[in-house]
Formats: sequence, C-alpha cells, structure tokens
Amino acid sequence: MTDDAGNLSLDFLAGFTIFMVALIYVATLIPGLLIGLESKSIDYDAVAYRTGVILAEDPGMPYNPAWETYSDADKDKALRFGLALSKSTPNVLSAEKINRFFNTTTYNYPDDYHSRAVFGDYPYQFNISLKIDGGENYTLGDTLPDGYGYSRRLVKIKKESTASIDGSQIASYPEFWSHEPNAGNKTAGDPGPTNHSFSVYFNYTGLTTEGPLYNNPAYQIEPIAPLYEGATINLTNLNQTTRYGSGDTIIGDPNINITLTGITITQSVLSPYLHTRSSFATVPVTLDDHLYNVYIDGNATPLNSSASHSVINNVSLVIPHGSVTSGLNFLGGNDPSTYLNVTLLFTLDHGDCFLNSSQATAKDESGAFEYNYTSPFITQPSLKDGVLEVAVW
Amino acid sequence: MVNDEGQLYTIEGVAAGMIMLFTTYLVLGATSVYTPGDTHISDMQLEQIGTDALVMMNTPVNGTVKSNLTEIVETSRINATAADETFNTTFLKYVNERTGSESDNLHYMADVTYRSDLTDNSITSYQLACTHNRIMNAGDHPVRVTEWVIADKQFPGSVNHPRAVLVEVLLWRD
Repeated sequence: MTDDAGNLSLDFLAGFTIFMVALIYVATLIPGLLIGLESKSIDYDAVAYRTGVILAEDPGMPYNPAWETYSDADKDKALRFGLALSKSTPNVLSAEKINRFFNTTTYNYPDDYHSRAVFGDYPYQFNISLKIDGGENYTLGDTLPDGYGYSRRLVKIKKESTASIDGSQIASYPEFWSHEPNAGNKTAGDPGPTNHSFSVYFNYTGLTTEGPLYNNPAYQIEPIAPLYEGATINLTNLNQTTRYGSGDTIIGDPNINITLTGITITQSVLSPYLHTRSSFATVPVTLDDHLYNVYIDGNATPLNSSASHSVINNVSLVIPHGSVTSGLNFLGGNDPSTYLNVTLLFTLDHGDCFLNSSQATAKDESGAFEYNYTSPFITQPSLKDGVLEVAVW
Repeated sequence: MVNDEGQLYTIEGVAAGMIMLFTTYLVLGATSVYTPGDTHISDMQLEQIGTDALVMMNTPVNGTVKSNLTEIVETSRINATAADETFNTTFLKYVNERTGSESDNLHYMADVTYRSDLTDNSITSYQLACTHNRIMNAGDHPVRVTEWVIADKQFPGSVNHPRAVLVEVLLWRD
C-alpha cells in the first residue's frame, strides 16, 4: 500500500529552493557588506603620503638638466615631478620647479600629474596645494570631496639672490670716477666721456665652492647646472653723479639725460679684468633678447633690450632661471671655471657727470662689481616658509 | 500525513528573510570601525607634521644666521619664559598651518635633554614649552618626535664647544 509519508511537499520544495537562492545571493553579497568594516582611506592615505614625499623630498627626474627647464614642446621628457632643490635638501623647494609644476597650461590634470607624481594603476583624483608665507597660493586638481587620503608637508622655498646697487655704492668709492676706464683725461675741466658702463661679473668658482653653511645648496648662489638660478641686478639712483672739482660729493642732477644703449654679456675663462675694454679678450655670449628682461624706472613691462631706452632713475636687469643653457659654458652652463660679465652701456648728455658706475677700485682697476657672498649690496638667497598639502580620493 | 502545523508559511519566511538581510545591510553600511590600521595612519601623519616642523625650525632662514630652534634652545638656559613664548608661537604656527582658511588644532609638550656632566654620562631634562592652557590628559593619544640641535653655549662644556642637545616633542590632536 502506498501513502505520502516521507515525500517532500511542493511547499517545502519551493521554500527550500528560495532559501538556497537567497543564501547563495547573500554569500556573494557578504564581502561587499564587509567593505564597510575596512578603512577606505588606507590606500588613499598611502598614495597621498607617497605623493607628498615625492614632491617635498625629491628634485624630480631628470635632475640634470632639470625637468623644469624643458620647453613645452619637450615637456614629455619630464619623467617624475619633484619640487626639492636637490636630494641633499629635503623640504627645501625650488621656486622655479614650483612655477613649472603648477603651470596647468603646460601639464594637464590629471593625466600628466598622475603619471609623474601620483602614480598607480587606479585612476585617482587628487588636489595638490601650496601656500607660501607672504600670500602666494598655488593649487591644482579637483574640489575636495567629503572623504579623502591626506598628507601635509611643511617646507621652505628658496628665494634667489638680488643685487641692489644705489647711491651708497658711489659713496663707498668717492673717487670711482677717476678709475673708470673711459674717464677721459681725469683733469679739472675735462668734460669727461659721454659713454659709461656698469659691469657685474659672476665668478663661478667662487660661487660654487664658497657658499655659506658648508656650501649648502639652500644658500648658494648657483647660476650654473643643476640649479640654473637666475639673477636680478637693480641699479638705482642713476641720476646721482659726482663731478670733478665738486669734492666728489654726490649730487642729484634733475637735468641729466641718461640713455641705456645696450647690454653685453661676455664670458672669460682666464682674464680677471672684466670691464669692457679693448684689451679684454671676451667671448660674446649669444643671448637672445627674450632670454632676459630689462625694466626701466619701475615699469612692470619689460622692454626690448636691443633698442636704446631713456632712463630717469633706475634699471633692473632680470636674467631668469635657466635662461642660458643649451651647450654654453656660462650662466646656466656646466663649466664652473668661468667668469661671466654683464655690462650695461649708458650715454649721458652731460659729459661732466659720472654715472653710478661699478665697483671700480685702484686695486685691480677691473671696474666690475662682483656678484658674490660678501657684498653688502647683494641680498643673499633666503628661505620662506610654506605648507604643501596633497589630497587623494 | 502532511499538514501545516508548526510550519512557517513560505511567503512569510521569504519576507522575514528579506527584512533581516536589509536590516543587516543597513547596519553594516552605516557603521565604521576604527581599526588599528586607521590609528597607525593618523599617528604617522602627526609624526610627519611634527618632524617637519622641528626640521623647518632648525633650518636657518639664510646662510648667516642661526636656526630658530638653536636660538630658542640657547635662550631657554638664560630666559626660560622668552624661550617658551617663542617656541610656542613658532611651533604652533608650523603644525597648525594649512593651505586653506581653516587651521589645524594640535597641542604639544616639548622637553630638552642634554648630557649634564661630561665625565659620568648623566643626563638632565627640562621642559622647554607646552601649549598654553592645555595640558596633556589621560585621554590624549600623543606621538613623539625629536630633533637634534647643535648649541654652542649655555650648556656644560667650554664656550664655543658645540653641544648636541635633544629636543623632544609630544604632539597630539584634540
């Protein structure tokens, strides 16, 4: 006899099937549920930390020639971004590297930065910002979401040196006019020359070996590779003159007409005499006008330096970071055994006036002002505080 | 014989299961557990900021002056109050500085340790500075950062005899 004992009911079968389907579904869901127990920010924090270290402690790749010196056309030669001045100066950043890094016209967010600073296979989004004491702020990347990985680095930014030469320079050398190479006959009543020159020279050997604090790159004046630092030369009080027979007193002549007629840049390996004179065997540096800027009387617009310009009181010559590089052994080049001479040529309509000229001394008659670590007229490199933040998500 | 005694009807079972699953999903999704890994991350970030702050304080502004930290440590031997004020202002400026408008809120306690006797290796410590009006209590979770400073006076030994002095800072966040 048959009955239904021991058989499965259709209800049970349906219920068990649904239960098994639900169980399988839940089993596959559990890893996803448990993600909430992990820290989502762990990976992001690690990536932010790594990016912060790269930016604050690494000078980038390539180092020499430095990645920031490549033109926009060659920007792909920059393999890794890094803002540190050198490997031996972590947390001391280069202003030029900062300008280049935050130039999002040249480098595109996020691709260029991801492949050179953030790294990793995951397409991270990020925001990198830098605040410098004094009000300068830089930032790139997306707006911060609610949660993100974070790293903050405290840094210093190197400020390059500046030469500021004013009337006090004349007072330091009251008889400088008599040593000027083009000073005429140096006798009473001599109207003197109408052409004058102001020369500054860089002694690379001295600059690269006699820096303060054991030649620390953070405090060096280093116009050559790999730092390629620029230089700024400010000449002020140009209308202050001395006149023969006036007791060498400094006078301001409101009627004097001064014209900047040209700028020459020359190099010399051997000669200590650096003033522009016919006996000085110089090698002219092929420096295009656009590689340096001339500002006259405080005008914020640089002028074309190949033309003559009328000057009332002051001239600033700015040789930008790394402006003279390719294959040349002077400012921005690689040869430390070189002198570089920068001469500004002026004409004056009062022949009896002597322009605020250079550090002419009877000692060497070089007539050139040395850009070095000891001159009171040079503001030495200094460091400004800053804070660098990296956020990744 | 099959009947429905003691059984849960299928539809109620499915509904109950779904409700339980959904509840579990909501609870787990809304809960964040502070794991040891998370603690390590925030500790590391604090150590990084503290170390950077001490290094920056020990970096001279230019090539002809001493670093802030060296000046403070040397001053602390002759004018503890002035050293405390200067360290407090400078250190808090560094560690609380951010690129945005909101600053951080870190607190610290700083000590100086040095070898007090050149013959028997004994060591002396004193408090250099601490966050004003905020002492460390049992609930705080500080990290420790240090920096060696070369001081050339005010410590045992002859004048112009550079001495290594350890500045130790406990740093924590509210």
